[in-house]
Amino acid sequence: MARPLGPVRLKRTSPGTIAVGIVLVIVILYLLVSPSAPDFSAARKATAALHPLSPPTSPFRKSSAVGGKAGPPPVTRYNLNNVTITNDPVGNRENVLVLTPMARFYQEYWDNLLKLSYPHELITLGFILPKTKEGNAATVELQKQIAKIQKHGLEKERFKSIIILRQDFDPPIPSQDESERHKMANQKARRAAMAKARNSLLFTTLGPDTSWVLWLDADIIETPPTLIQDLASHSKPLTVPNCFQRFYNAEKKAMDERPYDFNNWQDSPTAQELASKMGKDDILLEGYADMATYRALMAYMYEAGADIHTEVPLDGVGGTALLVKAEVHRDGAMFPAFPFYHLIETEGFAKMAKRLGWQATGLPNYKVYHYNE
Amino acid sequence: MRADIPMGTREETHSRFLLTALVSLLLFGLFVWPGDSGSFSWLGSGSEDFQLETVRYYDLSNVQGTAKGWEREERILICVPLRDAEVHMPMFFGHLLNLTYPHHLIDLAFLVSDSKDNTLAVLERELTAIQASTDPSKHFGEISIIEKDFGQKVNQDVESRHGFAAQASRRKLMAQARNWLLSAALRPYHSWVYWRDVDVETAPTTILEDLMRHNKDVIVPNVWRPLPDWLGGEQPYDLNSWAESETALALADTLDEDAVIVEGYAEYATWRPHLAYLRDPYGDPDMEMEIDGVGGVSILAKAKVFRYGVHFPAFSFEKHAETEAFGKMSRRMGFSVVGLPHYTIWHLYEPSVDDIKHMEVANSGQQMEQERLAREKEEKEKAMKEQKMKESFGDATGQWEKDKNEIQNLAMQENKKAEEQPAAGQQGGPADGPANAAPKEEKKEDTQ
Repeated sequence: MARPLGPVRLKRTSPGTIAVGIVLVIVILYLLVSPSAPDFSAARKATAALHPLSPPTSPFRKSSAVGGKAGPPPVTRYNLNNVTITNDPVGNRENVLVLTPMARFYQEYWDNLLKLSYPHELITLGFILPKTKEGNAATVELQKQIAKIQKHGLEKERFKSIIILRQDFDPPIPSQDESERHKMANQKARRAAMAKARNSLLFTTLGPDTSWVLWLDADIIETPPTLIQDLASHSKPLTVPNCFQRFYNAEKKAMDERPYDFNNWQDSPTAQELASKMGKDDILLEGYADMATYRALMAYMYEAGADIHTEVPLDGVGGTALLVKAEVHRDGAMFPAFPFYHLIETEGFAKMAKRLGWQATGLPNYKVYHYNE
Repeated sequence: MRADIPMGTREETHSRFLLTALVSLLLFGLFVWPGDSGSFSWLGSGSEDFQLETVRYYDLSNVQGTAKGWEREERILICVPLRDAEVHMPMFFGHLLNLTYPHHLIDLAFLVSDSKDNTLAVLERELTAIQASTDPSKHFGEISIIEKDFGQKVNQDVESRHGFAAQASRRKLMAQARNWLLSAALRPYHSWVYWRDVDVETAPTTILEDLMRHNKDVIVPNVWRPLPDWLGGEQPYDLNSWAESETALALADTLDEDAVIVEGYAEYATWRPHLAYLRDPYGDPDMEMEIDGVGGVSILAKAKVFRYGVHFPAFSFEKHAETEAFGKMSRRMGFSVVGLPHYTIWHLYEPSVDDIKHMEVANSGQQMEQERLAREKEEKEKAMKEQKMKESFGDATGQWEKDKNEIQNLAMQENKKAEEQPAAGQQGGPADGPANAAPKEEKKEDTQ
């Protein structure tokens, strides 16, 4: 490494090299400073909270330019009588909270999310990730993508606010492999943990100005860009599209699709009968051969070419994609982490909503797609 | 690289060097400028004087709640449901300002619903004054005043509203109000949530620390109320904190899905041990009792209880609603639910429906005269208090406005010859109170 001719070379080229070095330093400094350079318009700033202690659905002022110590948070009034929930959410400037429990980061999920045509300045994103190795990796990837949009994206691409939460409990099964995840014996513990994650995310982010909550799982990779508007146009308390999965059909030797989410169902006498004989802590599960419930599954109600806005009433819902009026959650409808009428998590949620007077609606012909691992 | 640099004259190189050095120094200076980041905000945004932060990150394992939250900077959310509570405001703010828990760690959330008095304006004025105080130790954290009207869904008939039958729907409405408040105000940085009614008359200023020290998921003190002498001096107030009994469980099994068991009514003899009746004025205030139902006057809970989904069921959950069902659901999720039988706070006394009935009976006899004399004497002694009691019990656990008016009319008739108005204007029993007094008295004797 040591070159005897070094000093000579250095002497000859030093001004240029230093200049290059300085240019590089400037470039680096510029890059460090510039992420905050393309800032928000005055219209967006007007909706910002004055203090970091504020509803997480609002962006907040980083700090006042006057400098010095910020005062105590202001007294803020919120009139929830004025938070509308209508079938024209864009026209009425209704805030949507998109909530995603995330164990793995899928680029396809993120890309699809960015394509949603609902005005991004009305969308708050909320994520909750477990504190596992996998969760850490997903968090890093998520933060990277968020920084890209929120700091360097065009203003219309940037979301109103984003909340990342880390779970305060360990998932019962470390593996997220599909086969392991669906084992019946693991379902109760897994779904109880998922319910706790959903509730933790929901009740710390809902805030005072959310009109709609869109539950969107991290492995939903394809939806129509008008998903929110389409589901909201039905103006139902709970609205669920039909979740499918694309796969390579070896028989047809072509890409094909199949129903994926079996938690959207209409109850059956058989299921009721099964439930009545169960112990207090037992749960009914859908999609398992050794527990035939004969419920009518929305997954099988899809009709090619039929009206995408066809509605069916549902008694159980899945959470892969689910639009909920915020008032349903505000009334207390949550995802039971314990057997509730022998149902748990999203299916228990539909039941609890029903107990509060809110009926779930399914859209069998409106499809969204799940990742295929 | 070297080949890319055009080699100019010595002077050119020097001036370029100087220029770039200056620019970089300037930028560097801006970048590392001591103090807040606001100093370079003009760099990017030009006319605006602040920048937006749109991303928040929280690790929920940092907000578990521990026995000494005040030492660990744990934030606590105080939730106060309100309805026509203007008269209680001075008393309530007195308690609030005297809380010894560090104020900057306390976030306040109020839900004002269906109020016809000046609650909202008074609340905002008082809170703004606190935040503007020159003493920073008085300042609280985030303060939210939330307005939401739920409307009257209750049957207007007097009997059904006060009777046992109306209890279920009343409790469900109160539950709804609590859930709206919590879900709008809970943040990812809260370790604790404290529910407090406005009409608590006496409570230790250290109540947050006192309850927190027990490090339980859900904990309530005993709630009593003072009474006029003609009613015995004092009385258990909150009968919603109880431990489950076999009788009650058996009873629950016989009831239909939407039924709500309410304590203190003859219709439901549950024989449950009530926290209230176990009070010993000289007992150890730290003594704990495991309970299943909880009353809502003063509840301290770890925020994670609410984060995991426990709430105040506005439907019949295990044959209960609101705070009692909150206790039940907490237990269902494996949380510890504890009451302190000998640590007592005092609820404001307001005549209940039974007190009025008592007066009604007395009306026919000369007994009324004596009682009125005793009452007048007390009224003089407690002039201030009486003033407050002009209004009905006013928070979300209180009566409906129409309720109040109806009973006011009722009482006015009874007291029509009474020369002073206050006695007629102070009606409306507590949520859990209206028809409770009689069973309370009986049971009190039983347990003594």
